[in-house]
Amino acid sequence: MTREEIIAEINAELAEEFEIDEATITPDAPIYQTLELDSLSLVDLIGIVQTKYGVLISKAELPTIKTFAQLYDYIEQHQK
Amino acid sequence: MNYNVLIIGSGLGGLECGALLAKRGLKVLVLEGSNQPGGCMQSFRRGGMHYDTGLHYVGGLAPGQTMHHAFAELGLLDLPWQRMDDAFDHVIIGGRHFAFHQGYEAFVKGLAKDFPHQREALQSYVQRLQNITADDMDVCAYDYLRQTFSDELLVNVVSAAAMKTELRRESLPLFNFAHTCSSYIESSWRLKGDGNLLVNKLISTIEEVGGEVKTNSKVVRLVEADGRIASIICADGQSYEAEYFISDIHPAELCHLLEGCQAVRKAFRRRMTSGENTCGMFTAQFKLKPGALRYFAHNVFVYDKPNVWTMTEDNDPVKGVMISARVPEDDSDELRQIDLLTPMPWHECKPWIETKVGRRGDDYKAFCQKKTEQCVALAEQYIPNLHEMVEQCYTSTPLTYRDYLGSPEGGAFGLRKDYRASMLTFHSVGTPFPNLLLTGQSIILPGIEGVTMTAFETCSKIIHDIARQ
Repeated sequence: MTREEIIAEINAELAEEFEIDEATITPDAPIYQTLELDSLSLVDLIGIVQTKYGVLISKAELPTIKTFAQLYDYIEQHQK
Repeated sequence: MNYNVLIIGSGLGGLECGALLAKRGLKVLVLEGSNQPGGCMQSFRRGGMHYDTGLHYVGGLAPGQTMHHAFAELGLLDLPWQRMDDAFDHVIIGGRHFAFHQGYEAFVKGLAKDFPHQREALQSYVQRLQNITADDMDVCAYDYLRQTFSDELLVNVVSAAAMKTELRRESLPLFNFAHTCSSYIESSWRLKGDGNLLVNKLISTIEEVGGEVKTNSKVVRLVEADGRIASIICADGQSYEAEYFISDIHPAELCHLLEGCQAVRKAFRRRMTSGENTCGMFTAQFKLKPGALRYFAHNVFVYDKPNVWTMTEDNDPVKGVMISARVPEDDSDELRQIDLLTPMPWHECKPWIETKVGRRGDDYKAFCQKKTEQCVALAEQYIPNLHEMVEQCYTSTPLTYRDYLGSPEGGAFGLRKDYRASMLTFHSVGTPFPNLLLTGQSIILPGIEGVTMTAFETCSKIIHDIARQ
């Protein structure tokens, strides 16, 4: 998948699953605040990425993903 | 009437939470959907004898050991526990006989007699068992064992008694494997009496301080108000309010009860409903003829070949069986009841998935008969002529667990844990609602030890929340 395809797909998926307005998802937007994540729902984000792309975000690398752009980078680099 | 805590489901986890919170002065109500409390701990009566569902032995009850403090706190140490033989688990693989001894040093010494070239590896193994951390949720149990022991037979031997969890080499975390094995090595105990002793003790602890356990009270909906759970509604229309709610039912089933709740987003619902269930067990429970066999205070695990980790990968025939003897209640040494258990994946139940208890047909009976004969054939490596000693036989399959205990796909150990996705498969006891918590074998760890550890974790959240207020 191209980066553009990943962005379009994951934005739609996250908006649907976390029940937010897709327009609030921008590359530089903070992922935790935008998706209203807490320690519990953070696991749901990891689950969506794994189910959709077969990409498991490791515990060690999780803190490095703070914006949507960083999430797109991570998926792009790790997708099979 | 209002309650401090309402618990959905009266399995071991639900009752333990009820007892722990009741002892702290909270008014507890436990609602059980079926007509009998206890979940996997309940026993049933046939032909004048009590038979257990899921209770066989417990580890680590001696002072200072893993389960001592927890069972003391729960009032369960007062029950008539009997320490098992020094050699508490016997393993037979391909006709060779091995024994697990109580105490880590004795455990190493005993197996080192058969595997002298693996003594250091055995010492390293028991060291690891005693120092398990949350990081081991990310470690593959099977890979760890193969890296630790160069002798493949020993990998099979140390895993042979772990029929208390789902031995699946591609997913089982070391965290689960170690917790399944370690407390039993500390010390192993059987209850003199049936599992209802344990169930009734927990219920009486709840009732002594004004709490209640109601059966035939199936919860059909949780009602949300201001981001919290406000009340629950039962199938009979009865509604109950409480400050806190604990779910001791399967997480997927809980999600059905939360339909329409706005605080539950799709992502959470998807994660809780998409987890895989562990395999179930086939159990043949025998009433033996009087005088046929003497009681033995150890378990026996018999395998045809050293394929402990792969034996369920093809269907037929039974390749491994656990023999569990029931403590005689009349103080004699006459053994009247034994259980034979073997793992049974859900796909073997497929022909009868749409059937109900007592109406599964002759082909199901023939299947159970054949499976029983295969279990007996293996067990006869330890008890010659066992088939001639049987007076009565009762069998159960994952379908039985599904229909009596509400366990999806008859899974014996709740939701499957996977070291490759530990964050997704080990669950928090929390939920999107601050006053709704989870407990039971699907959340963190299965088995009596795992469920008890989880119950303490669940209750600590409530106790801290109350203290904070």
